[in-house]
Amino acid sequence: MIFREVEDRDLILKAQRGDVDAYNLLVSRWEKRVFNYLLRLVRNREDALDLCQDVLLKVYQNLKKLEDPGRFAPWMYRIAHNEAYSLLRKKKPEDDIDSVPFELPSIGGGMLPMETALAVDAALRRLSEDQREAVVLKVYQGFKFEEMSEILGCPLSTVKSRLYTALDLLKDALAPVGDSRSTS
Amino acid sequence: MKVTPEVLKDYVFGELDAADRRAVESAAAADGALRDELARLQLTQSALFSLREEELPRRIAFVSDKVFEPKWWQVWLNSGPRLGFASAAMLAGAIVFHGFVSQSKAVIAPAPAFDQARFEQRIAEEVARALPVALEKAEQRHQVQMATAMKDAEKRYVRLRQDDQMALAASYDLMRQKQAAALVSYAQQGVRSEVQ
Repeated sequence: MIFREVEDRDLILKAQRGDVDAYNLLVSRWEKRVFNYLLRLVRNREDALDLCQDVLLKVYQNLKKLEDPGRFAPWMYRIAHNEAYSLLRKKKPEDDIDSVPFELPSIGGGMLPMETALAVDAALRRLSEDQREAVVLKVYQGFKFEEMSEILGCPLSTVKSRLYTALDLLKDALAPVGDSRSTS
Repeated sequence: MKVTPEVLKDYVFGELDAADRRAVESAAAADGALRDELARLQLTQSALFSLREEELPRRIAFVSDKVFEPKWWQVWLNSGPRLGFASAAMLAGAIVFHGFVSQSKAVIAPAPAFDQARFEQRIAEEVARALPVALEKAEQRHQVQMATAMKDAEKRYVRLRQDDQMALAASYDLMRQKQAAALVSYAQQGVRSEVQ
């Protein structure tokens, strides 16, 4: 991971000097993570792919404005966050269907991996957009609280509050009281 | 360190340093409820990890791809000598424009001088020509108006005379009726006195 960061920093510096190949290599490293982050926010593969393309192009166009290459990931995810929310605001009325409550199977009862994945996906859908994004950034993208605060453009306390609330909701849905022993 | 539910979550999220992590593990080992809560959080986290990352449906276009290649005119515009060429083109355009404008001005003929005497003479001629015609037309119009007014007056006079005659006849009839009534009355008074 340290080597990766060093290499990323090197690629970013080269790309800032106009090295297109260096940027292409950077894209090939980050595209999957950025795509999955966007996919879990907008929940549509085509939209996520288009957004991913737009984000990586904007990153390239604005790369010279990035002063600290060490902050590349939060800076890029900030752009991705803005792009995703811009799309979500446009598509807001279609999302009402997600507010319909439904029963989730708990994961403690010997569920198959696919069933578990479905249950997790359904549980994530029940979260608000802000909560889901916090979970995605923390659990799936591995960002620290400070980086999340930078990406989301909100105070650290807000980030923690969203994440703690989301985790409680996910815990109640996926690991109800009494189920923890069955898998531990 | 007090192990609150938030501290447990920070533990699960890997936000605690080594000392705090050890403190949480010790507290969980000593407290059954805390251990169960931690187990639930870890179970939730492991369930979340079961959701795999998806592959991209197609690769993201690189900035070096054809689609991002600049057009020929963009390349030309961004080329080194573009500034010099643009300046030369602007200068040439300005010269051509100035030449065209100057030529256009030379072609325009100067306005003739104003001749006051001729202007007044022209006015006098026009007045002399138009005035008799206008007077004659006015005279004819006046004669027509006079004739029409006379006819109207005659008609009005005839109608008034007829009205007077009718009124006179009516008065005469009324007077005769009164006279007849008076004679009758006088005759009746004479008969009554003879009887008495």
